[in-house]
Amino acid sequence: MEGTLNLVGFGLSAIGPAIATGMIFAAYINGVARQPEARSILQPIAFLGFALAEALALFGLVLAFVL
Amino acid sequence: MARKAEADALWSIVGYMLSGLIFWGGAGYLADKYIFHTEYLTLVGFLLGMGGALYLVWLRFGRE
Amino acid sequence: MINLQLSGDGFVPPSTNDFNLPPIFESIEWLTKPVLLVFLSVILVSLFFVVSARKAAVVPSKLQFAGETVYAFVRNDLARDVIGPEFMRFVPYLFTLFTFVLTNNIFGIVPFLQFPAMSHVAFPYVLAAFSFFVFHYVGIRKQGLLKYLKEIAFMPGVPKPVYILLTPIEIATFFLVRPLTLSLRLFANMFAGHLLLLVFILGGEYMLSDPNLLMKILSPFAFTFGIALTFFEFMVQCLQAYIFTLLTALYIAGALADEH
Repeated sequence: MEGTLNLVGFGLSAIGPAIATGMIFAAYINGVARQPEARSILQPIAFLGFALAEALALFGLVLAFVL
Repeated sequence: MARKAEADALWSIVGYMLSGLIFWGGAGYLADKYIFHTEYLTLVGFLLGMGGALYLVWLRFGRE
Repeated sequence: MINLQLSGDGFVPPSTNDFNLPPIFESIEWLTKPVLLVFLSVILVSLFFVVSARKAAVVPSKLQFAGETVYAFVRNDLARDVIGPEFMRFVPYLFTLFTFVLTNNIFGIVPFLQFPAMSHVAFPYVLAAFSFFVFHYVGIRKQGLLKYLKEIAFMPGVPKPVYILLTPIEIATFFLVRPLTLSLRLFANMFAGHLLLLVFILGGEYMLSDPNLLMKILSPFAFTFGIALTFFEFMVQCLQAYIFTLLTALYIAGALADEH
């Protein structure tokens, strides 16, 4: 076995954003399914939430290679 | 169209953040290594790039 | 690809070495299996559509129907819905892209061929370079070089000093990250899928050839899982061909649109 432990750490740290993204889109789909006309209001919120959650995953990705 | 553009929007969000990290983080890394010989500019670059990318995402997808 | 793990020195897990196939003939160095498969896919695709369209009739034969279904899917679902009124110019490119990528991906699970050429990163790179060229060319032709670049680099509604921060990010996104993610997504999916199938099939083979009886009994589970994953792979392969074409169409639409 060879490789770097950084990637294991990245895998572990990606669990959090993965769950967060799942929850954000679950809520978004729920909202749009209940009230389709709310899509234009919900969409920016869902995208911003996705961006904020994904930011952490990308930090992990980059730091796994840099450190 | 709207649904297909949504898939593209998610990828371009990731693309913005990735390129922000790569560009400004890379700039900070190079500045650390060759210009100032410090240790913290990479981190500053990452934060700056991510901040800029999030601002771009807000400009493009967040405001109505 | 056929390397039976009969010797008793432990299981060798499949690795990236399984993707570096030797040349088919010793003397011709560039003619490896992926290259051959790409040529085969070109021949198959063109043959299929030439034959299906040659005797075009008002009441279509089965073959013509199959060909026209694929064509209508690309034209209506991908080109017309995404690009808008000017879609007809791009249908040939999108159609070629879709059928080529789809055929090459499906070669990954066709018996005896069983290698997706797109798991060599060079092929997606070239396809993404074509798409990159097409959508920037279209944008420049439509809006003029300076206006197009200005539209990419300067997001409206931002105070002037912030452009120092934002413009490099925008330029890097459009000229580096977009083609890179376009090609790497296809490559990574094909690579990982092929590796996954190799793990289960070669692992099952190893378990079957193991002298231990328990391993022999358990090996059908590995094979069953391998077969189930083959069907899953089929889904992923179709989806990736679709996504590659869809994103190309979306980028073309974005370049054609006056402002984003």
